[in-house]
Amino acid sequence: MKSFQTLRLCVIALMGTLSLSGCGVSSADSGFFGKTDPPATNILRYVSGDEPESLDPHISSGQPEGRIYMALYEGLTEYDPKTLAPIPAVAERWESNTELTEFTFYLRKNARWSNGDPITAQDFVYSLRRGLNPATASRTSYMAYAIVNAQGYNEGGVFAKDRTTGQFLMDGHLRKVFPGDDTARAKMPELAGKEIVPIKDEDVGVVAVDDYTVKYSLVNSAPYFVGMMPHQFFKLVPRKAIEQYGDARWTQPGNIITSGPFKLKEWIPYDRIVVERDPMYWDAANVKLDAISFYPMTENPTTMNLYKAGAIDASHNHTVPNSWIDLMETMKDYMDAPEMVNEYYQINTTKPPMNDARVRRAFSMAVDRVALAKYRHAKPLYAFVPEGVFAGYRAVHVATFDVEQSKKLLAEAGYRDAQGNFDPSKFPANEAEVTYNTSDSNRQVAEFLQAQWKQNLGVTIPIKNMEWKTFLATRAALDYKGLARSGWIGDYVDPYSYLSLFYTPRGDNGTGWWDPKYVAMLDDANRTLDPAARYEKLAKAETLLLESQAVLPLTVRSTSWMKKPYVKGMYPNPGTMHAWKFVYIERDPAKWDHGVPDMTPDKN
Amino acid sequence: MARFVIRRLLTTIPMILIVVSATWVLIRMAPGNFYTGERVVNPAIERNIREKYGLNRPWYVQYGKMIGNIVKGDFGSSLRYEGQSVNEIISKTFPVSATIGILAYALALLLGGFAGIIAASRQNSRADYSSMTLAMFGISIPNFVLGPILVLFFSLSLYWFPPARWDGFPSRSMVLPVITLSAIYMAYIARLARSGMLEVLRSDYIRTAKAKGLSERAILIRHALRGGLLPVVSFTGPVLALLITGTVVVERIFALPGMGNYFINANLNRDEPLIIGIVAFSSMAILLFNLLVDVAYAFIDPRIRYS
Repeated sequence: MKSFQTLRLCVIALMGTLSLSGCGVSSADSGFFGKTDPPATNILRYVSGDEPESLDPHISSGQPEGRIYMALYEGLTEYDPKTLAPIPAVAERWESNTELTEFTFYLRKNARWSNGDPITAQDFVYSLRRGLNPATASRTSYMAYAIVNAQGYNEGGVFAKDRTTGQFLMDGHLRKVFPGDDTARAKMPELAGKEIVPIKDEDVGVVAVDDYTVKYSLVNSAPYFVGMMPHQFFKLVPRKAIEQYGDARWTQPGNIITSGPFKLKEWIPYDRIVVERDPMYWDAANVKLDAISFYPMTENPTTMNLYKAGAIDASHNHTVPNSWIDLMETMKDYMDAPEMVNEYYQINTTKPPMNDARVRRAFSMAVDRVALAKYRHAKPLYAFVPEGVFAGYRAVHVATFDVEQSKKLLAEAGYRDAQGNFDPSKFPANEAEVTYNTSDSNRQVAEFLQAQWKQNLGVTIPIKNMEWKTFLATRAALDYKGLARSGWIGDYVDPYSYLSLFYTPRGDNGTGWWDPKYVAMLDDANRTLDPAARYEKLAKAETLLLESQAVLPLTVRSTSWMKKPYVKGMYPNPGTMHAWKFVYIERDPAKWDHGVPDMTPDKN
Repeated sequence: MARFVIRRLLTTIPMILIVVSATWVLIRMAPGNFYTGERVVNPAIERNIREKYGLNRPWYVQYGKMIGNIVKGDFGSSLRYEGQSVNEIISKTFPVSATIGILAYALALLLGGFAGIIAASRQNSRADYSSMTLAMFGISIPNFVLGPILVLFFSLSLYWFPPARWDGFPSRSMVLPVITLSAIYMAYIARLARSGMLEVLRSDYIRTAKAKGLSERAILIRHALRGGLLPVVSFTGPVLALLITGTVVVERIFALPGMGNYFINANLNRDEPLIIGIVAFSSMAILLFNLLVDVAYAFIDPRIRYS
């Protein structure tokens, strides 16, 4: 495995150098990288990243699949091509109650499946229930846990009913959910003599009010709920095909029924997925491309070679290798935006010396993020929520670069000499490793951190790399010492998508830090109706998180991808997610993009 | 001969079972699972997944099922690629890998063999030195260096061939991967053929042939070639088996939908049925090709007899 990684790095480095040295000729004059002849046909050729795990939107969880799903499936709302804010899709409009715990969506009446059947509210009820069904084993089902009884149903939970009165045990106005596991329940005295009722799919808080109205009931206020609807978990899946061909086979060409602007034409694994315009789609008249060829590829230099040769029209995010960026930034077809992803290191707060918040803070303050950002072609990040992505959201910067203060904190924490000054030799550096999963890019960051701490504090923290899956297992079990690399891609366009990581002590938290006060602050913020006031409250909660120093934020990466000037309607948004129906090929060079296209939000 | 072949075929069965079992144990020992990703999987969701794919059954049930599948010749379904059976994946990707592999080997055999024979027949001549120098380059330049260089010249400067991707057989997209893959084998074959031929050319029966006044060409083709190419034949078996079952680096550089790509990703993804399937298939190919080589020996070299 290791030798393969090394080999990969060699390939990347070498191809990088070679292709760069050869790129001057054709691109220097036009300012574009390589050929700019539009394709003869009205078919977009797009490199989409990893081979998709599945075309079933409930099964895979990755971004590469997410982009393909945006062509094949539609949900209630879709991502705005520029801002990723929710725009109408199958739902024409929506409303909520004032507490933001009930959302009603009104569906358009002309929406159809690719087989011509009308799309109705029952299809949304079915899709949600199927995604939550434990037998589907969806990895993204947690996305719907805001909905009443969704978590209970997905986890195989039960209700408890009084045998005499027939009343359910309640938790506020909702039925109380108990674990499905008998042995866990046996330890609960309140269940003695109660009748156990398994949670069924019809208990999930979604109802078809009529054929074209669907209503969702939520456990807590969720102002971000409509913004979650474009996520792949909430896309429509076809009951007919799933029941006919089964969970495993319904996505195969010939079996599949889709709901989006395009339908599946051809799927050759590791080679191509071709989708073509679906005449049944409700907005087919406005879909401009005849087809899209998605090429699953992971070698960035290969992608760039194809791009330069004019064999592809656009690529997904991070396809420009880091060492090329200096040159590519000067090209007019280089696309970039602050990404809805934060890069950070999580800290194991349960093991010394990092169990002391002062030590964690000191290490955070001894990192020059401006230098790191420059080196990484990224933006420095001092907060946890990516900055520059959520308009109007302002986070407080808790630990900025200050070496003197950092040394003072470490001295306070007990690592000092007789004069009371920080003494690096007293610090148990070997107990605070920097662990990352093997990749060139991660190594650069880990080495940078190591160098910073050596230079600024005189402490040499060991760095340690691990194979991906080994790393994940170690990190999740809090088996790492010191710091472990991490990053979070927002599931929806709201700071809460990041802050909710620390809502529970388990799962993706991975730091050992958890504070009920933080949870209360998040709940309070989400009950706030005024968006500005809510953002303020979320920022206060974030300040608490940052003061705990359970995380060491580093940078917000650039999205870094390429798009030929004739590809229009495709924008460098923070998630690099494109609503394909707006994309088209412009054959008139006068209308081409010379640089990043205008990102002023459209009025929808 | 027939008994020899049957006996060899029978021994492949336990060998494949050993290889597959060792692989199975190694996969189990590696941390992580096919469903683990950057995001931590909630324990209830993990339980759902383990239930769905039968991962919560006792190990001997899972092992038994795996062996049973192999005996039936059905490797089961991929865990990572929902709905795709391993047999389907192999049947789709093997032709791509095999096409590239066979063409590359044929090219290597043709040019390498020719260069080796010429070099041997004109030992210490300019032709000998230049072809052996070239062979040295071929051996020393790894394919992940050669591939990009070829792409740079032929795809990005001359625009003759596409820089990557597979357009089927035959197509211009095959040219660069085939050349890239064949270079190192061409070089090996040239050297093997040269040394093999040199040895034979010094032997008594060639001297006898020369004494009888046969022409140089006749000696070379009718008498020396058979024995001289024996080292090449023994080299061919295992190498050809490796080549047709997927060549990771070339498939990645040129983004080819071959078996090598799948194999690497199956390992990274801990996709057990797919790993087992490809390992079993590849070991069968290797054992089969080794057997073919041994059989070929008997035909080429009259001194070899199997009983």
